[in-house]
Amino acid sequence: MTAMPGPRRRTGSSVPQPALYGALALTALFAGWWLATAIPGVVSPRVLPSPLDVVARFFFLAIEPFSGSTLEGHAIASLTRWLIGVLAALGLGIPIGVLLAWLPPCRAAITPIFELLRYIPPFAWVPIAVLWLGATTATQALIVFIAAFPACVINTQLGVSQVEPILLRAAKTLGAGPWTTLRRVVLPVAAPSIFTGVRIAFGNGWMALVGAELVVGKQGLGFLISQGQINDSVATIFVGMMAIGALGAAIDALLQRAQRVILPWKTASVRPLE
Amino acid sequence: MRPLRSRAGGSTASFWRREPGPIAWLAIAMSFTAACIALWWFVTRPGGPVSPLFLPPPMDVVDAFVRLLARPYLGSTLGRHIASSLSVVIGGWLAAGLVGLPLGIAMGWWRKARWIAFPIFQLLRPIPPLAWIPLAILWLGIGDSARIFVVFIAAIVPWVMNSMQAVYSIDGLLVRAAMTLGASDRQILTRVVCRTALPTLVAGARIALGNAWTTLVAAELLAATSGLGYIALNASRTLEMGILLVAMAIIGILGASFAIGMQLLTRLVAPWSAT
Repeated sequence: MTAMPGPRRRTGSSVPQPALYGALALTALFAGWWLATAIPGVVSPRVLPSPLDVVARFFFLAIEPFSGSTLEGHAIASLTRWLIGVLAALGLGIPIGVLLAWLPPCRAAITPIFELLRYIPPFAWVPIAVLWLGATTATQALIVFIAAFPACVINTQLGVSQVEPILLRAAKTLGAGPWTTLRRVVLPVAAPSIFTGVRIAFGNGWMALVGAELVVGKQGLGFLISQGQINDSVATIFVGMMAIGALGAAIDALLQRAQRVILPWKTASVRPLE
Repeated sequence: MRPLRSRAGGSTASFWRREPGPIAWLAIAMSFTAACIALWWFVTRPGGPVSPLFLPPPMDVVDAFVRLLARPYLGSTLGRHIASSLSVVIGGWLAAGLVGLPLGIAMGWWRKARWIAFPIFQLLRPIPPLAWIPLAILWLGIGDSARIFVVFIAAIVPWVMNSMQAVYSIDGLLVRAAMTLGASDRQILTRVVCRTALPTLVAGARIALGNAWTTLVAAELLAATSGLGYIALNASRTLEMGILLVAMAIIGILGASFAIGMQLLTRLVAPWSAT
């Protein structure tokens, strides 16, 4: 690869410069937040609580139950629903994706309905899911499933259809049956694309779950922030949002690590940003 | 997409492994869709196994659509509800673009801008836009401004991230060639960088619009006095299944038209990148 413009690395300084600038920016952000709340009359604590209030609220919520359970309890409720939904989406979406790529007439049959349903945002299913299943865990898991399923199907199909026909013919010549071909040739070639689908599906599912919990349910992190809104407690909303963001980021980080372990041959297609 | 071709030779399995021609494709697609609608009609017929409160018959949905067209529902006509949703989504999306596009280009081009702003985005990015809704309601009430705020949050991240990535990953050879030919910094940025980055910039705009639409529907379920999401929530409370399905269908059709429209736009502004 040729040298790029932009990041000209400067050697010699002990602290890497990007980290220094980033730390300064974040410090300035938090200092600005704290100053705005510390000087009376700038912003009312009802609108923006001070960072210290948010930290105190975090420990309070972690110990004392609020709206039915502690912060951990809400997080576990959310994670359970999320896991049910995404696992169902993977279990159903990956085989369907393989099927659609292998059997073109099936693709022709399903495409119109799939495309029509795909463009309905998962969240628009909440009112009908509530009617179907009531305000239960199943409703939330269904929304997660709807959010995660298309990404699994589309990316699996994409990966499988990228398998070179010559590989399939070679496998056939060497005496492999369809099942062996699928397991030993098609899936390894399609794996990076499938994994991308899984990552998107997990993220989409997590986002949709938060939305679903805002509307229905009696537990979960989305429910926690909607209770914060009803009780006029911005600090509770902040704690809930941070927990949602931190768990979402942790899920993605775990998946990235898993990808490096499971698919060591996959090379990054885009130059990583610094 | 490249079809997956099976071996030559006319075994009985070849129908399943061959890519159907356009006419066969259309025939299969239409007959399967028709079969699904027939099944829907059959299971929801009077005395059928599925209650109309679970899934209404197809004709009920058509009736509900005609009724929505004929008289106002929840205080506005269907057109007004659609216009209300569209104006919020376009407003928030454009506002996010006005801020996000220059910011992203700057972050891609000047490394100091990237070093300063990127960590802040990394911090905010994992928080789903929907999670901002309660905060928006507390800060701004349940008017249009709260919804525009949430749509703005949903749209700005793809705007910024894609324009940064687009500018950042430009081939250095192009920039050096322009320099050698005597282009000024400003000319390089406008004539070389922004042009090369255009397809990715438009892709960012497309993702941003999709996110904005999804988020708006969520916001309308929680805080609205008009809009398609508001119709859907009310219809679900009053058990008007037909109206609920019509609202969902319109939401889906509008989402699909956004996606198709942005694809056409890509072809228009960057025909060399269209696939």
